[in-house]
Order: sequence, then C-alpha cells, then structure tokens
Amino acid sequence: MMRIVLTMKPRTNPHVPIEAEKINPAFLMWGTDDLTVWEGNKERRLDEVFEVEVEGKATSVNEVEVVLRGDTSRVKRVGEYMDGGKITVEGDVGMHCGNFMAAGTIEVMGDAGGWFAREMRGGTITCHGNVGHYCAAGYRGEKKGMRGGKVEVFGNAGDFTAEHLFGGEVVVHGNCGDMPGVDMQGGYLTIHGNCARPCGNMTKGKCTVLGCVSGMIPTFKTEGEVEGPDGLPLTHFTGDVANRGKGNLLVRHYQYLD
Amino acid sequence: MSELLVKNAYVIDPINHIDGEVMDIAVKDGYIVEDVGPKAEVIDAGGCLTLPGGVDSHTHVCGTKVNFGRYMSPEDMRAGREVRRGVKHATSGYSVPTTYANSYRYALMGYTTLLEGAMAPLEARHTHEEFSATPLQDMMANTLFDGNWGVMKAVAEGDIERVAAIVGWTLSAVKGFGIKLTNPGGTEAWGYGKDLRCIKDEVPHFGVSPAEIIEAMIRACEMLRLPHSVHLHCNNLGTPGNYACTIGTFNLVPDLNKTRQSLYATHVQFHSYGGSDWKTFCSKAEPVAYTVNNLPQIVIDMGQVMFGKTTTMTADGPMEFNLYRLHHNKWSNHDVELETGSGIIPVLYRKKNLVNSIMWSIGLELALLVKDPWRCLLTTDNPNGAPFVKYPEIIALLMSKKYRDAEFATVNRRTESRVILPSLEREMDWNEIAVMTRAGQAKALGITGIGKGHLGIGAEADIAVYPLKVGEIDPAQEYQKIIDGFSKTRWTVKRGRPVARDGEILVHGENTTIWVDPKISPAHDMSRDPEFTEMFNHWYSVRMSNYPVQDEYLKRNLRMETEATI
Repeated sequence: MMRIVLTMKPRTNPHVPIEAEKINPAFLMWGTDDLTVWEGNKERRLDEVFEVEVEGKATSVNEVEVVLRGDTSRVKRVGEYMDGGKITVEGDVGMHCGNFMAAGTIEVMGDAGGWFAREMRGGTITCHGNVGHYCAAGYRGEKKGMRGGKVEVFGNAGDFTAEHLFGGEVVVHGNCGDMPGVDMQGGYLTIHGNCARPCGNMTKGKCTVLGCVSGMIPTFKTEGEVEGPDGLPLTHFTGDVANRGKGNLLVRHYQYLD
Repeated sequence: MSELLVKNAYVIDPINHIDGEVMDIAVKDGYIVEDVGPKAEVIDAGGCLTLPGGVDSHTHVCGTKVNFGRYMSPEDMRAGREVRRGVKHATSGYSVPTTYANSYRYALMGYTTLLEGAMAPLEARHTHEEFSATPLQDMMANTLFDGNWGVMKAVAEGDIERVAAIVGWTLSAVKGFGIKLTNPGGTEAWGYGKDLRCIKDEVPHFGVSPAEIIEAMIRACEMLRLPHSVHLHCNNLGTPGNYACTIGTFNLVPDLNKTRQSLYATHVQFHSYGGSDWKTFCSKAEPVAYTVNNLPQIVIDMGQVMFGKTTTMTADGPMEFNLYRLHHNKWSNHDVELETGSGIIPVLYRKKNLVNSIMWSIGLELALLVKDPWRCLLTTDNPNGAPFVKYPEIIALLMSKKYRDAEFATVNRRTESRVILPSLEREMDWNEIAVMTRAGQAKALGITGIGKGHLGIGAEADIAVYPLKVGEIDPAQEYQKIIDGFSKTRWTVKRGRPVARDGEILVHGENTTIWVDPKISPAHDMSRDPEFTEMFNHWYSVRMSNYPVQDEYLKRNLRMETEATI
C-alpha cells in the first residue's frame, strides 16, 4: 500500500484557485517530483503548494491512497480521470472533483464545489457535506452526462443535480435545488429531501423524491400509487410527455405551481 | 522589398499547363516573378509536390450563423484546444472552431483563399469582423438573395434590369463577392408556413417561382459582369427523390458566359437522392453527373459527407427544421428580415446508418462520374458534410480505389444495393486533384485574373509545398501517405511570406477581403429609387443610410470593379 498525504501550505492569497488535475493516484504513484499544479496563472511544483508525505510503495493504482489536508476548498479538478485507488479529502474540495472518474473511490468529508462528479463513468464518490450546482451532471451542450458509478451526497445539493444523467446512481440525502434530473436519459436518482421542478424533459431512468416536490412539472402522467422504501406510499408518474419520454418519477408529496 | 526563392519544386499548375516539372519559383513583393536577386530568402522544396495555394470555393467559417453554431455547441469547443504560443492565438473547437483555429488549420493544409458561402446582407458586418480575425487566408463572401423582397418583386414584374440593380447596390453596400441563392424562395415561403417542393411552386405573396428567381438572377449576374456566377443551393435539399428537381434546375440554365460557368451548383451530393422515402432512399449520382457532363454552363461541388460529428448550418431554414424532426436534437432557426433565414443543427454521420452511408457514397460517385475535374470541385460544404480537415481523406479516397473499397467494407452493408460506388474504377491523378482543390475553384470563382489558383508570372505568391514525392508514391496503394501529406504542408507561402512550416504557424498575417463593386449607371442607382427606398424605410428595422458596411470594417481589401451593362 502507498499512502500519500498532501497538506496545504499556508498561502498568501488563499482565494486564488488551484487547478490540480494531477492529484490523481495514477500520477502520484510514480512520484511527486515532476507534478505541477496551476495556482491562478502560475505553474507551481506540487511541493510548493502542499507538504508531501509518502509512505510505502504501490505496484498498481489500486494500492494508492491519497489524503488531502488543510484548506483545500479552492483546489479544483481533484481526481479528474481517476481510474483506481482512493482519495480522501479531509476538509472541503473545490469545483470539478471527480470529473470523468472511471474507477476508484473519492471521499470528501466536508463540502464540495460545483460540477461534483461531472460526467462520471464509474467508481464511487461520496460527499459528507453539501455540494454545489451541477452535481453529477453533464457538460454544457453534451447530450450524455454521467454514465456509471455511484454518487452519494449526505448534505444538500444545488441546482441541476444529475442533469443529463445517462447511467449509474445518484443519491442525495438532503435537499436538492431547482431542476434535478433534468434531461435524464437513464440511471437512478434518489433524493431523500425536497426539491423543485424535477426531471423536466426526461426520457428514461428513474427518479425518486422522498420529500416534497414544489413546482411539479405538469407534463408528467400520473400512473397511480406505489410502495417506496420503508413502505412509504409514493405517487408514480411517467414522462416527460412533452419529450415523448418514458422515464419514471416517484414522488412522496408534490405541489403544482398555481 | 522581400524576395523569396522556392527551389527544386515539383510543380503542378493546371492553369499554366504545367504538370510535374521540377523548377524554381521566384517571388518578389508578394508576386511571382521571373527571377530574383542573390539575396533572396531560399526555401528548398526538395523535389516535393508544389501547388498553388488552395482555394475553397464553398465553406462556412465566418458570420452570424457560424457564430451561432459556436453558441449552440459548447461541447464542440472541448476538442481542438491549443494554448496560445508564439504568434498563434489560443484555439478550440472541431466542427465550428474559433476563427483563428479555422485559419491555422486551413493554412496547415495549404489553403490560402476562402469563400464564405453565405452572408446575410443585413448581418454582413459580423462576417467582415470575423474576416479580420482570419489572418492567413484571403476572404470573400457570397451574399444571400434567396428571399430578398426587392428581388422577388422585381422578378415578379419581369424587370431583370431592376433585379441586377438591386443585386449590384446590395453587393457594394455589404462588400459581398457574389450571388448566393439558398433554396430560392423556399425559406421565405416557410416563413408563411408554406413549403416549396420544387422549382415550379409559387412563393406565397410574391407570385414568383424558384425557377423564375434562378433564371432572373443568372441573367442579372451576367449583366453586372460579376466575376463569379450565381452560386446555387438548389431547392428541396436532402429529401429522397430530389434528384429530379436538381436536374430540372440544371436544365433551366442558359449558357451566357464564354469564360466560366453560368451556374455554380453547390453541395450537389445533398441534391442527388433517389427513392420516395427514407426506406427506399438510394443514390442518383449517375443521372445528375450525366446532366452535368452535358451542360458546360454548370460547375458543381461535391459536398462530400464524411463520418463523424459535425454541425450543419445553412440559410435553408425549412430543411434544418425537417432535419431537427428527424434527429430530435438541438436546433436553431433564424429569420433575417426581408432577406433570408438560417438554421443550425449538430449532426453525427454514422457508418452504421444506411442513409449516412449512402450520402457518403454519393459525394464520391459525383466526383468520379463527372468527367471533367474543372467542373466538379472538392468541398465538404464545411462544416455541413464534414469539417474541412477531412479534405486529405477525401483526396485519398478519390485517388485510391483500394482505399474506397477498404472504407466501403466498413459502412452499412445494405448500402451496396443502393449505390454504384464499388463499380467505379476511376482513380484520380495529381493533376486532377490540383484542379479540384485550387485551379478549378479559382477559375469557377473568376479570380484567376487577380492571380489566384495558379503560379504563372504575376500571380499572387500563394504556394503550398507538400511533403509528397510524386515519383516515389503510388497513390492507389499508399493512400495513408496521401492523407498525411495533404494534411500538413512543408511550407505554406501566403503573398510571398512563409506562414506555415511543417505544422507550425510562423506569422500572424493579415488577409485581404475581396469584394465586388459593380459600376451601375445613375439611372439604375437603387439608393435614389423612390420605390426601393420606400420599401427599405417601411419594412427594414435599420435605416438605408445605416445599412451599408462602413469602410472601417474592411482592413486590407481588394475591390473588384465591374462595368455593368445597365
């Protein structure tokens, strides 16, 4: 097993974002000497920004564990294209954490920024705090978003959660913002809290909202009542009819706009 | 005073009847001359294939609809990203890249002159602004007249002189190059919820048919003595069975000009479809090519489709709406008041798809069946059929039957019964490719006189040196070498200055915008015509005095004045 601990050094201006797509077990397992990150418009060696501690050796990417410590709330693109191993973020993490992730595990103990797990392909990503907008979403203009893997958020998520969801599973234990699951084409989205206007334009997939939906979209067809987890009675809708959709939307409580 | 000598060049220059002669090319102050002094900068071409700079007679690289393609497809900008380096700007995009990306990629392929296929007159300023950000190619813009109210009214009245006067005034006002008709009348009809199926249908409220518009415009074009002929995108694009409409249109065309064609029919691939619906869809390239072979007044371009992602954009709004209903993807349509419209949708051409495979075959069939390479030019209607970076592959497909067969084996297997491509044995030679990619294009555009498309004395020194040793390559067998060679020049020389070398951009250039200014007698000056100014002031949202493109929009430019006969 190889364990790499990266502790953020004190910075003169902690608001300047850091682009750190190199914080990825696939790169770190070969040593940290050549790796650079961008701090604003300056390219920095990894050890200029982080205290780097390395223990042990790894023969494959799956034996690598990376730990991020300190104020990492401005570190972006952690675990981009990750294909194995584990990253643990002890505090917050910036935007685009786990972009295109294909395998492995990312665990964020604090909050995460926007575009969390964007276009994920596989693996598991967990956030114990809140996440920003576009969690598990697709890229602007692209038809297919997240295609596989599992995203779990224990706090709240922002707007457009799981936009363009194509496969995989997204679970939000808190509330979601506006329009979760919009343009969904597959996969599973479960929201334990409340949300607004879910699943507009969906064509396929399944979305379950165990809280209350406000601004329920009128182009969904009511199919009847079904039994949800823990025996909760849920209303089953199919749609989005306006998009010839065949998706399933299961809702505990809902309210149409007046 | 800059001097350049390209030594040991294996030159193919079809306009000057040079086919494979090893020679030196001397350049002085941007023009090709007999000889230069001993201090001249020397480029050693090392016996490599040397052609005049490439000319693309139909591409969409600048203007409002191209820019809207960029808005609509942010995902397209994920491809082709390069950071700013040296003289180069940062670039991104694949099917609708940034203007700089277009310019650099064209320059690397040896292209030095481009014609933007469709500029809405009212939105000409945007086109000219983007021209000024296309540094390495000379630019021209064909101007859209397909739904122009003034033109249609004059056609309905049978007043061809008035048609010519309106066209002439508009061209010099918006600094356009030639006449573009895109689905003439059809886009306007669609604005009223109607659809024109072919050239004899009547445009509602105007009482004219596409056939009348096309014929009147061809005559007006000759009256104005424009360098280029009418540039026509026929009616009924992309529908099964439209080949009959295409042939009908071609047969209308009178032969009015001894030096060039009277009609340039663009992306004929999209107009050579047989069958009665998508299930019976098949190729009708043969009758279309036969018609073209028999009508010397017509030049066509292929509009080749290549597989992959792209974005279609055209002033043919209704066609894009139909495509949208087929694909159910993103879609945008736009109406340009009193003039034309446009539509944009992203498309993915797939080998698995029968229709796409047939489309791919038709383009190649047209090129191989039209006997005279001067009359069938190589384009993809960038980016409608494919982005222009696919040109080298198309060249290889035309030069190698082996490559065609290898590609044909990978497309939808039901294609075989719908096309004749596998039976075509023709393999083009280097000279024919030089004609289809530069000499023929320059001749069709009527710009050989200003030194484009050839390497004769006095010609503009646009030279492309490709890393291809003609004697040592068998194009029919080694098609990969053809693709690689045409993708990246060893040298691209623009106006006597090397702008690209082995895939590197060397300078930040400045292009020339070529525009046409027909000299019309005061009796036909539209800016003083009471009826025309009344129409303008009543219906347009801009004043007539604000309409013309000011000179500030043109930096370096070449005004081609013509003596109109009216």
